[in-house]
Amino acid sequence: MSAPRSLLEARGLEAAYGQNPALRGLDADIPAGEIVAILGENGSGKSTLLKVVARIVAPSAGEILLDGVPLGTLSRRETARRVAYVPQSAELVFSIRSLDLVLQGRAPHARGFSADSEDDRRRAFEAMRACDVEALADRDASALSGGERRRVFLARALAQEAGIWLLDEPTSGLDPRHRFQFLEALIREHRSRATTVLLVTHEIELAAELADRVILLKDGRALASGPPSEALTRESIREAFAVDARVQKDARGRPRVTMEGPAV
Amino acid sequence: MRRRLRTGTEVTAAAAALLLSLALALASPACGPRTGASPPASPARRVVSLAPNLTEIVFAVGAGDRLVGVSDFSDYPPAASRLPRVGGIDVSAERIASLHPDLVLASGDGGTVRGAASALAASGVPVLAVSTTSLDEVLAAIRRIGARLGRSDEADALARGLDARRRAVVARAAARRRPRAILLVWPDPPQAAGGKTFLNDVLSQAGAENLLGGRPGWPVLSAEWLATAPIEVAVLPDSPGNRPVFDRAFSAGPLSRGRIAAARIIRVGESSLTRPGPRVFDALESLAEELSP
Amino acid sequence: MKGGRPALWVGAGLLLAACVLCGLAVGGVRLSIADLVSGTGPAGQEARLIASLRFPRVLLAALVGGSLALAGASLQALLKNPLADPFLLGTSGGAAAGAALATLAGISPLLSPGAAFAGAAVSSAAVASLARRGGRLDLQRLLLAGLIANAFFSAVLLGVFSLASTEAARTMLFWMMGSLADASPAKLAALLPYAIAGAAVLLLSASRLNLFAVGEENAAALGVHTERSKALVFLASSLLTGAAVAFAGVIGFVGLLVPHAARAVAGNDQRVLLPLSAIVGAALLVAADAASRAAAAPSELPIGAVTAAIGAPLFAWLLLRNP
Repeated sequence: MSAPRSLLEARGLEAAYGQNPALRGLDADIPAGEIVAILGENGSGKSTLLKVVARIVAPSAGEILLDGVPLGTLSRRETARRVAYVPQSAELVFSIRSLDLVLQGRAPHARGFSADSEDDRRRAFEAMRACDVEALADRDASALSGGERRRVFLARALAQEAGIWLLDEPTSGLDPRHRFQFLEALIREHRSRATTVLLVTHEIELAAELADRVILLKDGRALASGPPSEALTRESIREAFAVDARVQKDARGRPRVTMEGPAV
Repeated sequence: MRRRLRTGTEVTAAAAALLLSLALALASPACGPRTGASPPASPARRVVSLAPNLTEIVFAVGAGDRLVGVSDFSDYPPAASRLPRVGGIDVSAERIASLHPDLVLASGDGGTVRGAASALAASGVPVLAVSTTSLDEVLAAIRRIGARLGRSDEADALARGLDARRRAVVARAAARRRPRAILLVWPDPPQAAGGKTFLNDVLSQAGAENLLGGRPGWPVLSAEWLATAPIEVAVLPDSPGNRPVFDRAFSAGPLSRGRIAAARIIRVGESSLTRPGPRVFDALESLAEELSP
Repeated sequence: MKGGRPALWVGAGLLLAACVLCGLAVGGVRLSIADLVSGTGPAGQEARLIASLRFPRVLLAALVGGSLALAGASLQALLKNPLADPFLLGTSGGAAAGAALATLAGISPLLSPGAAFAGAAVSSAAVASLARRGGRLDLQRLLLAGLIANAFFSAVLLGVFSLASTEAARTMLFWMMGSLADASPAKLAALLPYAIAGAAVLLLSASRLNLFAVGEENAAALGVHTERSKALVFLASSLLTGAAVAFAGVIGFVGLLVPHAARAVAGNDQRVLLPLSAIVGAALLVAADAASRAAAAPSELPIGAVTAAIGAPLFAWLLLRNP
């Protein structure tokens, strides 16, 4: 990976839910192979950005370029082969075997979305092994704990064999052990597969610790973007979150963010 | 609307049949004739009739000139057609009230009335509910209506005459073999007169055995039963509007297969057969005539 | 997984065969199989006559039951909602109103499935758009919209009844209660194209519906053109519902209950569940129709009453079993 060149570019991106705008002219550059944390208040457009990239939500203006190609010119299936989306909460109404859920990651590769060839199963099992959920293959995913289910969905993103992973608040609501297990699997697989990760989170500390790059959103626009040490400053945090935070540097030069309280 | 005007007679026929089954389907003969009208103080002078058979009874006891309003389906005698209408199946209580009747005649089995008639009764308009689930009840209805109109003598004479004609029919029929029969009030879905109906009386007193006599009310019949039941005779109400509907059912519909298709058809004038009034005794006689060898 | 569960398909096939045999054998009058096969003279003639009346009826029941169950199963997966059902979502009501309006306008009864389909499609579209909020289908709103649609179309039906000639109203009333009584080869032939087209679309959508069963966003993120797929599935289930309602009236519970039962046995892979629901739905309605003929001979019970009588307790039992 030479000089970071943008794998994903957002240009003047706008999107709305009915009358409510969520993105208002967002510009962002996401280099290949990085973990990019997207931070912002509730309603700042973080999740919407992921959904536009995943083509769950269509932009109302602007565009996303994937390797310089407008996303809209790719077929949805082609997009799904290159972009995997791990939802924040997958409320499963119907029971589904974990293995079948992971096999859905093979759907964009399969004829008629019907993926369960021997090859598909092999890849699905590999992905589950990589995320330490192989033992859950026959369990009902709707009955798994939150942490187990997140890792099953991560395994699905692996099985999807996409170069870009979109994770919407993957650690919210997890206890420390599950959170640790999830992040460990994420970082390990990200490194071994050299994927690009867009990670939406509320946890400024997590972004500071983990991300190669941080994009701060406010009101549907990018407020700051860059390595955590540059993008996460007392001023930018105050502007994005209306909180005061103490920002220190640790031994590796990474910022350590400590919340002080609501900005006054 | 256009259709309704164009095929007026057909509609009237169908409506009469529908009315009949609607009005009589929920009959509870066990209750007996407990009609709920207070004894007459003086003969009624302004009468509204909510059913064609009741209109006919009023005319037959010689009080047609007292009628100030009749149901849409009241077309006999011809003079009835010229009277103000108060609605068909759903009569208008307000319209009736505006005619200031001192007596409203309604069909009501076991003496209970529904809809507008019950609303009128509740608001103090005298309503006479008349049950007609047997020929005996028809005769009783004639006497009761006559009494309320101050025409008891005429009504008694009429009822006695009708009863005498009926006895003669029954006497003549007693000697004959009784063919197994059904009386279809409607072809599609096929609906017939079952037991505890005035048409069961008509069929059996005219000399036939009603195959459905053991089943009270107006059963809708399955195609399988019609195709296989030992039906020798099918009695149909006949009218210009009715006939094409029956013909369709016999040529391609539910009456086109098996025993019912092979049964002997006897058509009896619809307006006399299906209205439990004086003319149903005409229908009884003409059916008996047809049934005699 | 496909073809991997022979026991399931053999079981379903046997169930359908048993119900069809029962449907042919049971009714208001006795049909002797011996007379039917080898009978000569009047007995054989009568047996063949009954069979000729019953056979189209059994086929119609199977076709209608299969259509309703398949439409119900597909809608449940599409909307990620086990309560989705052509009846509850107002599709049946729209179909009934369409067919009734066509009858009022004097359109031939053989064309009324077209009108019923149009009514069903209008109702589906209206319900789906009423249920949208912020670009997404809201499930609570969906069921409420179905309720509203049912109320509206009931009003349309009552209006049609009051405007129709009494003759037509009478026929419509019996049709509304759900009846397979006027099954005939001609009606079967008219129903078949709708059923085949609708079933083909839904069965071919099974894999996509698996993705929808996890969620609409899930399907979109995995490469499904969700708007197009939704329109197609709504249209196809409207086609099936419309045809079923046009020929057999409004029959509830089949579309709701059968997929539940099939899911309890075979899991929620739509590639298995959809065809299995169609088979079980066909079997259920054939059996219910046999019961409706046998229970009240020489009359027949309205088939809708029979499905409700079978369906409601069964549904309650399923609820208790899988909370």
